[in-house]
Amino acid sequence: MPHSRCIWNYSRRRPHRLGVRAPRALAHLVIALLATFTASGQQANGEITTAAAKIRHVFVIMLENKNFNDTFETSTQDPYLRKKLVPMGALLSEYYGIGHVSLDNYIAMISGQAPTPDTANDCVTATGTLYADVQQTGVASNGQVVAASGCIYSRETRTLADQLDSAGYTWKGYMEDMGNDPARESSACGHPLVGGLDNTQTAQAPSAAVPAGDAYATRHNPFMYFHGIIDSPNCAKRVVRLEQLTADLRDTGTTPNFALITPNLCHDAHDGAGTGAEGTLCANGDPGGLTSADKFLRDWVPKIVASPAYRKDGLLIITFDESASAVDRAVDAQTGKVILNFTFAGKTCCHQQPGPNIDGARPGTVVLSDTPKQQVRWVFDGYGGDRIGAVLLSPFIKPGTQSNTPYNHYSLLRSLEDIFRLDGYLGYAGNDPANGYILHTLGNDQAIFRTR
Amino acid sequence: MTRSSVRVRRSGRAVGATACVAAALIASAPCLPGDLSTGRPPGKPPSALAELGKHLFFDASLSASGRQSCATCHSPEFAYAPPNGRGVQLGGPSVDREGARAVPSLRYTLNRTPVWHREFVANPAERYREGEAPPTGGFGWDGRFDSLHEQAAFPLLAQNEMANTSPEDIASKLVHASYASEIRALIGRSAFADSSRLYAVALLAIERFELEDTSFHPFTSKYDDYLDGKTELSKQEARGLRLFDDTARGNCASCHPDDKGADGSHPLFTDYELEALGVPRNPEIRANAAPEYFDMGLCGPIRTDQASQTGYCGLFKTPTLRNVATRRAFFHNGRFHTLKDVLRFYATRDTDPATWYPASASGAVDLFDDLPTALRDNVDRREPPFTLHEHAAPLWSDDEIEDVLAFLKTLTDRDVVGLNP
Repeated sequence: MPHSRCIWNYSRRRPHRLGVRAPRALAHLVIALLATFTASGQQANGEITTAAAKIRHVFVIMLENKNFNDTFETSTQDPYLRKKLVPMGALLSEYYGIGHVSLDNYIAMISGQAPTPDTANDCVTATGTLYADVQQTGVASNGQVVAASGCIYSRETRTLADQLDSAGYTWKGYMEDMGNDPARESSACGHPLVGGLDNTQTAQAPSAAVPAGDAYATRHNPFMYFHGIIDSPNCAKRVVRLEQLTADLRDTGTTPNFALITPNLCHDAHDGAGTGAEGTLCANGDPGGLTSADKFLRDWVPKIVASPAYRKDGLLIITFDESASAVDRAVDAQTGKVILNFTFAGKTCCHQQPGPNIDGARPGTVVLSDTPKQQVRWVFDGYGGDRIGAVLLSPFIKPGTQSNTPYNHYSLLRSLEDIFRLDGYLGYAGNDPANGYILHTLGNDQAIFRTR
Repeated sequence: MTRSSVRVRRSGRAVGATACVAAALIASAPCLPGDLSTGRPPGKPPSALAELGKHLFFDASLSASGRQSCATCHSPEFAYAPPNGRGVQLGGPSVDREGARAVPSLRYTLNRTPVWHREFVANPAERYREGEAPPTGGFGWDGRFDSLHEQAAFPLLAQNEMANTSPEDIASKLVHASYASEIRALIGRSAFADSSRLYAVALLAIERFELEDTSFHPFTSKYDDYLDGKTELSKQEARGLRLFDDTARGNCASCHPDDKGADGSHPLFTDYELEALGVPRNPEIRANAAPEYFDMGLCGPIRTDQASQTGYCGLFKTPTLRNVATRRAFFHNGRFHTLKDVLRFYATRDTDPATWYPASASGAVDLFDDLPTALRDNVDRREPPFTLHEHAAPLWSDDEIEDVLAFLKTLTDRDVVGLNP
């Protein structure tokens, strides 16, 4: 295959410039207001039956694209995570992503919103990798935004950040590499121009002007997909460079109650094979894969668990957005044509619902390219994000424990809403008993948390 | 080149540490400061090392002929590009040997050129979706140098360029340079006793001059004024810009980005990616008289570490288009001598290939004739403007070509605007 600006490499293609559409924007406002009043129909009960009730500082480190079996059973690249951190804390063996590919998982975690056609594909569209507004057409059950396209939710789509603000808690996003190259994105609240091309899809290698390179990816920073956050003057104070975390950890008063930590594209295992082999490296020359993710954890977990806030009432969650895909290659006996399938099992837990926006796409098959010699397809056998696992560390955890209770990113949101006793459950963090959709909440998992 | 050396060169810390490498060589110097992000004046005078580099850059005594300096081919009066229209420049002890490739301008890109790399996305599905990412970055048409001080050594030692015989040869010339006292002041009297150290400092000094001197980044074109709201484009220039941006047709900006950065910085009109355009063979180059000789860029023969990657053959780095209208030799092999011909090539490469490529023995058009036949599938035919078929309408009409040309002339800096045809 020629190493050209490949037909599928939408990230390098320019979008058509989008104009302001005032009438449509007004319609969105009305629809979104409806969403506001339907999204929080249930009140968080906040009844935590374990010592987790004392948690007031939660740190989440998000890694990328690894199967549970790889991370916790077979890989030799993550000894710190497997052999040091797992014995220190609790392993959630049945933790699932909610979709493929990345962005929908991050968004679910802070809003309970299910994928849109575009968030399910990292905003890669037929006209380019667009950082564009959700084109909302209605509201479905559980406060789900019905969307024809787009990735940025209106101001009225609430998030965990809104809930924490309302309850008087603090939150921050710590983004590695954000603003390394100020020409690529701002160092605070960094995102592309709304309606424009997202040029953070691929990592930028080091140069004289940007010695460390820039591997920040907007799509791994969920806060950037909500106008309620990015339009706020506080955004620049809340979504900051990772380096700020060191200072914020020094005192309980400066440590946010909720901290989402996103490593760069190399340190979150998205890039690189982790072997160090030439041709499989990150843009900055590091090995990537679980090797670089493990190093990131070695660098940052000790700082977090040594912080006053963590020691007082902290919980650290290390998990992944989704699992990896499998590859199979078949040859048509009659034509000799190669069929290359990248298959996502798409398994779910917890009676997860697909949401209103991905009918026909999940499950489904997407033909990426089709020539007389080869057809390449993405095959989604389901709509989930598959089994990824999670590790929890906390003074309130029983070290070396394991829970086989099923959880997913919606469960995590629900768990945070319970821990902080927030004002209702957002989106699919809320149960839907009529459809058998009942989530567990982490704080009540007696297999891993100490008693109160 | 060993694998381990590649890894060291490609680490971000190695790039960032350049100034501190200099400090290690120059006992009295701290790690050098400087705003290298845009090349705009940092409000500080150049470092002493950069001042030394300026002497070196313009010193013809550092060539075997005594007649060529870096500035001979990278002339400041020509936006650090050649002052003539030769497809490739002459060099060597008698200044009669041809270089291998056209000489690029040094303006704008040096401080932002990323190290050579090819991002590897771990998940195979995403890796495919995000494209078999093209190799990107590095200095030179084939991206083989990750730093400017490495690059600087090449023309100094190449026998068809400045033709010094060894680093020691260069160091011995520095002992007698008119600016020897400045070298002594910078690195001490003992520097002349250690030729390898002296040579290393010289390379770093050239690098610092190229990174720090504001003449490499003037941002004084009409397009810069347009981006700053100080002027308007003419109707023809604006039409040209629209054609340049049109993703369905020219799609020029996909490789030559023309938007402001997130911080308002002005675009440099290159994405630094390596690309196979299928530029026709240039019969003006003497080496091309040998039918078995092919300059295949990333896979060799000059670059050697990627020789086994046949998919890389024919790929050359995308140059900046700033000051492109002042050039008189285009593409890696200098095949074209007018910008209008370049645009005509883009417009009709696929619709009328017989215009650009010779007939083969069978009488058919010998398409992409500057690559071995087996490697011609590497040439980009997948994205606009390279998706047209033979006998289809050309990408642009003659009038549209004039419009794009008018836009490209707005990229010329004020100090060289007189070079516009």
